[in-house]
Parts: sequence; structure tokens; C-alpha cells
Amino acid sequence: MASRRWLILVLVLVVVSPLFGVIGAEIVGYHEPLDLAVERACEKLGIEPPDVSYWSGLLPDYTVPGLNDVVGYIISGLVGVAILLIPYAVVRRRK
Amino acid sequence: MHIPDGVLSAGVAASTYIVSAIAVALSSRRFFSEKLPGALSDPTGRVSLLSAVAAGVFAAQMLNWPIPGGTSAHLVGGALAALVLGPYGGCLAMALVLIVQCLVFGDGGITALGANVLNMGLVDVFAGYWIYKLVSKAVGGRRGMELGALLGGWIGITLAAAACGIEIGLSPKFGYPLSLTLSVMTMWHFALGIVEGVVTMLVFRYLLDKAPAVLGGVEVG
Repeated sequence: MASRRWLILVLVLVVVSPLFGVIGAEIVGYHEPLDLAVERACEKLGIEPPDVSYWSGLLPDYTVPGLNDVVGYIISGLVGVAILLIPYAVVRRRK
Repeated sequence: MHIPDGVLSAGVAASTYIVSAIAVALSSRRFFSEKLPGALSDPTGRVSLLSAVAAGVFAAQMLNWPIPGGTSAHLVGGALAALVLGPYGGCLAMALVLIVQCLVFGDGGITALGANVLNMGLVDVFAGYWIYKLVSKAVGGRRGMELGALLGGWIGITLAAAACGIEIGLSPKFGYPLSLTLSVMTMWHFALGIVEGVVTMLVFRYLLDKAPAVLGGVEVG
């Protein structure tokens, strides 16, 4: 079935995602591009970065408190996918 | 391309919030009332596909490609969402993804959510869709459709980045002039955007062959 294949593809993406989002990011010393831009701008102006975040989320930056980053990233991916598939589950069940 | 908190000035944050809220409300009304082909013809199919596309876009955005030099880029997927769901559904799917990313993972500032929806949920989706339409009509045939998907993904993300550059440039907090933020964001994403274009085209081509019924945003002849 097409929807089953789709779900498998999505899950595969989530499981391999730490290779890029966590492991690869550590190798190149990754920072969010726009966070970096703010830091550099502040450095140039000689002011403290504002470091404002009014809301850091329930799983901040795709991490799960207490778990290592790779596992946390995968769990975060699964949580996000599960939330976005709620409407799908609801209409399919009602049918 | 997700703008964090503390970058945009209050005026830019507020006005992008208003524009995005209106656009998403209108889009969801249009999406659930318009006549759509294939898998989107009934409400159950429409909600299912919307939900499936949103989950897929979210998962694809988890693949953050690190680029030497300390930065990275990920797919955005707005044009692809529009090809599957039509532009209104595409807008809705992207808004859902951005809301979950912001609220659950703190990805994209909560004060910048309006701007992020505007860039990735409106500009990327509608520009990508219109470019697809234009190119596929002008070139014609299967080649035109594929070229349209390629350019829609590529130019869509470039224009989304340009919008992002304008919003940051209009927020003079950090002293970056508009000309700089606009040109840097646009050129950088024009160079990287080819990847988005190629992926959009490949997925589109696959769906055209294997599951044309899910391509509700385009006329599959």
C-alpha cells in the first residue's frame, strides 16, 4: 500500500537524520546560520548577544533531556511525525 | 532559514504575524472548499494527504546538511507540498510543520513564527507553484512538468530566502543594512537551492510515475 510505503520512508528519514543533524553537525562545528549571524553582528558592535528565546520548546533543539543527542534527535523526529500524523489517524479511524 | 527570537523588530514580527494568520485562514478555507482531483477529491483524502505531507516535510527538514564553515542547509519542501496539495493545502501543511517545530522543538522563534510562516509557508509555496505552472505551460509536455518542478523548488526557496533577508534587513537591531541581508540570503540560497530543485523534481517525477493520484496540485494529463 502506498501510505504504508510513505510511512516507512518517513521513518527511515527520521532514523538516519542524526547522521546529518547531530554527527555531521559536530564534525563541522555547526551553528544555526541565523543564530551565528546575530552573534557575529553583536561581536562587531561590541555588545552582548541578546540570547533571547521566549520559548525553547518542550524538546529544545530536538533533544530529550537526559538522553544523548543522537537518541534524542531520533525521538524528537518520531514525536514530530506522530503529532503531524494525528489528523491522518483521526479521519482514518472515523471512516 | 528559521528566524530565531530576538532578530526581528517588533513591527516586523507583528506585521508578518498578521499577514500569515490571514493567509493561513484563507488558505484553509479554500483548501477545504475547492474542487480537487484524485486522492484529494473527498475530505478524508484531503486531511490524510495534508497530514502525510506535513509529516514528510518535517522528517525531510530533520536532515540538516552540514556545510564546512559552520553552517548548514536543509530542504524546505514548500514547492513540493504545493504540487501535491495545491498551493492552499501546501500553505496549510507548511504552517503546521512550522508551528510544531516552533512550539515543540523551539526551532524558529515564537516571535518570528509569523515571518517564518510567511517565508516558507507562503512565499516558497505560492512562488514555487506559480513558477511550476508557468514553466510547465510554456515548455509543455512531460519535460515541461519536470523542468517546472525543478525551477519551482529552486526559485521558490530563493525567493523565500529573499523575503527572510528583507525582514531581517527591516529590523535594524544589529546594524546589518537591508542591501546586505537581502543579497547574502538571496545569493546563498540561490546557490544551495539547486539541491532543493533537484530533490523536488525527483520526488515529483517518482509520484508522476507511481502515484499520479496524489498530485492534486497539478493537472496530470
